Amino acid sequence: MNKHNQMVTRRTFLKTAMVGATLALSRNPPFLQAREEYDLAVISGEPVAATKKALEAIGGISHFVKKGQRVILKPNMSFTRTPEFGATTHPLVVATVAQGCMNAGAQQVLVLDHTLHRPELCLERTGIRDACKNIPGVHVLTLQERKFFQEIKIPQGKALERVEVMKEILDSSTILINIPVAKSHSATGVSMGIKGLMGLIWDRESFHSRYNMNQALADLASVIKPQLTILDATRALTSGGPGGPGTVTKPNLVIAGIDPVAVDSYGVSIVPWYGQNFKGRQVEHLLITHQRGLGKIDIDQLKIFKEKV
Amino acid sequence: MRTVIQALSLLFFSILFFLATYELPDWLPADIYLRLDPLLGMNAVFAAREVINRALWSLVTIGATLVIGRFFCAYVCPMGVSIDFLELLFFRKKKRSGLKWELHLRRVKYYLLIIFIVAALIGLSVVFLMDPMSLLTRFYTFFIYPLVITLVNFILDLLRPLFIALGWTNLSYLHYFQSVYYMSAITLLIFGGIIFLNRLVSRFWCRYLCPLGAFLSLLSPLGLFKRRVSEECNECLKCQKSCPMGAIPEDPRATHLPECIQCRTCAKVCPQNAITFPASLSSIGGEYSTINFSRRGFLYSLAGGVGVGFLATQTPFTLRQSKFQLIRPPGAIPETEFLRTCIRCGECMKSCLTNTLQPCLWESGFSGLWTPKMDLRLAPCDQNCNVCGKVCPTQAIRSVSLDEKTHAKVGTAILRKEMCLVWAQNKLCLICDEICPYNAIVFRPVEGFRRPFVIASKCNGCGFCEQRCPVKGESAIVVVPDGEIRLKKGSFITEAKRLQLEFKPDPGDDKYILEESGFKMEDRKGEEKVSPTEKPQPKKPKGFL
Repeated sequence: MNKHNQMVTRRTFLKTAMVGATLALSRNPPFLQAREEYDLAVISGEPVAATKKALEAIGGISHFVKKGQRVILKPNMSFTRTPEFGATTHPLVVATVAQGCMNAGAQQVLVLDHTLHRPELCLERTGIRDACKNIPGVHVLTLQERKFFQEIKIPQGKALERVEVMKEILDSSTILINIPVAKSHSATGVSMGIKGLMGLIWDRESFHSRYNMNQALADLASVIKPQLTILDATRALTSGGPGGPGTVTKPNLVIAGIDPVAVDSYGVSIVPWYGQNFKGRQVEHLLITHQRGLGKIDIDQLKIFKEKV
Repeated sequence: MRTVIQALSLLFFSILFFLATYELPDWLPADIYLRLDPLLGMNAVFAAREVINRALWSLVTIGATLVIGRFFCAYVCPMGVSIDFLELLFFRKKKRSGLKWELHLRRVKYYLLIIFIVAALIGLSVVFLMDPMSLLTRFYTFFIYPLVITLVNFILDLLRPLFIALGWTNLSYLHYFQSVYYMSAITLLIFGGIIFLNRLVSRFWCRYLCPLGAFLSLLSPLGLFKRRVSEECNECLKCQKSCPMGAIPEDPRATHLPECIQCRTCAKVCPQNAITFPASLSSIGGEYSTINFSRRGFLYSLAGGVGVGFLATQTPFTLRQSKFQLIRPPGAIPETEFLRTCIRCGECMKSCLTNTLQPCLWESGFSGLWTPKMDLRLAPCDQNCNVCGKVCPTQAIRSVSLDEKTHAKVGTAILRKEMCLVWAQNKLCLICDEICPYNAIVFRPVEGFRRPFVIASKCNGCGFCEQRCPVKGESAIVVVPDGEIRLKKGSFITEAKRLQLEFKPDPGDDKYILEESGFKMEDRKGEEKVSPTEKPQPKKPKGFL
């Protein structure tokens, strides 16, 4: 529970620009170090090359992952769909990030999700387990049991007061990297980084049935803060999401950024969803998250590094 | 020696049992013990009135018994092993005097055998009630398997701190899916009863009740190996007392051949080393190699068989067979044949990846006891798994490819509008649509709200919607048997095509969302067009502002 107090503290301190004192207490908030020049890296190309370049452009993976640290990657592997359905993160994007983390000296990389479909099939069909099989130190796991989750409070929660999240992400020395796939979602418009956080919690069902989902997602984003979000838009499931089948287009993009709202917002802009062009502001859960001060939503105000590889 | 073989047999049986799960390799016959059981095979063939390929494996057992004798009971039968081992555990030191009605009781198994065979000829194989292989597999499925999972998970939980400390990551997060079944308790009671009968006399079940033992004993007197007692015998009767089958009569030099399972316990205990089991083609015949049952008993059991067969098939349930809300596994052959062929071993329910397959109690009467049904509220049928057919020893569930299995429609989802959150309460819920693997659920504007509809021709009854429906209690969308495809032969794909069904992950029926959002799109030919009569409420796809 302490951790959240710290987080709040950090946020308060942030606003008053009294950064120095908190740095020692909380985990390294990378965006305070302001070493990278760009808010977003948007790289066009094949999955591996684009991912590598995106990591490099956002400041290099070693900027986020220090020696001996444990890294948690959160791809979307919730559905028993093969990569071409666009419902799950591309296995090569995940493997490239995992390899990068290990190269940067990570103690180990856990690739985690709480899947909707049967976990063994998700691991198999999405190709993510296979892609990471030969990288030493990388473990692809699904956590489907309540014992692996722990309840935390959401101090600023509007819809949610508390939520059970994977214990692993509560360890303040652990780095969390979110690797969502760009897809449509029948309830939230799109499902990218912020929506992908739902793969880290225990009770996914009640988000749909009990709460205002868009508010609840913003609540979740206020307590789970990935150090880095890498949006896999090598394919985009522009209708029929989140599970597919639906229309799959190929933007061939990998978008990396520290600000989760900015990454998602950019993701909204790259392709038409359900045949229609939208801006990040038009996605309710992104707008709410932005309004809570959790990230920038207007992409024309962002510094974006674009390149084709 | 025998104990070792027995232990290996039980181990092999258990390993095959636990291997019967997704993703079972095609070459591995996990159901081999059930295939080798001639009684199950024979009865299924009689009842189904056709040759079942997998049942032909049991000819191996028949052949071996003809050549060797009734060795199966002492060395192979996993039920026999369980009885022997549990007997050691519980009843070794108990004093058991023989039963008074020994001779009469011995006949019971033959009467039962006749009853089962006649019943199968009449039309329903009820041998599943007492066949040891079926019984034990069932006991494993409904009791041992869930118990083992619980124990393993318990141990994993205990050791978890250690795994974490040692940095064994995979073990630190290891947890096995806990399957649960109806009828675990009943199955345990039956098995417990069989074990408890040993309190009265050793191998009570094998001596008096087991119909498979009865069948094998009919073949056994022809076998090569027979007990022989030499002149050294001093009639101490130790062998007689130690024989687990009671196969040694008053005169210890003689042997009830049909009862002898060649366990060689007698040879082991004989102080004179007077007992051997040489191979010989020697005489069959004499008072000890015949099966002693009365003509009256024979006639009674014939009548009993006719009675059981008749009762089992002629109940009101029979007439209403197809009128029940019973969802059978995909690939199950037509209901009448299914009931005749299924041996109720529970192997399909064990192997089921999602645990949706559950045993029937009385849903379709006595004839449906322990047959598999899909409990789709509990779990859906995973569309990437076809293991239930693979492990079915009599192919009551056909072993078909994944693509074929997808087209083996088990039923159709129907929406109960009075319960549906959207229809009844105007709530925004679309979980059924979201989870459906075939886009068989679409939303159309009705009375100003987008409301779900099922496209029956795209629904194969997988049950994801029924399981996920957030309504408490019974689901607002349920799969009913209507439209199920049950084929004994031929391709499910062809049949589904003929019926103009399509179970493809086919994109594109978000067109109503598109229309609502004002996005122009071409009309798709052949599909019904619903023009919103009232203006659709959400102007944009859900989640967009």
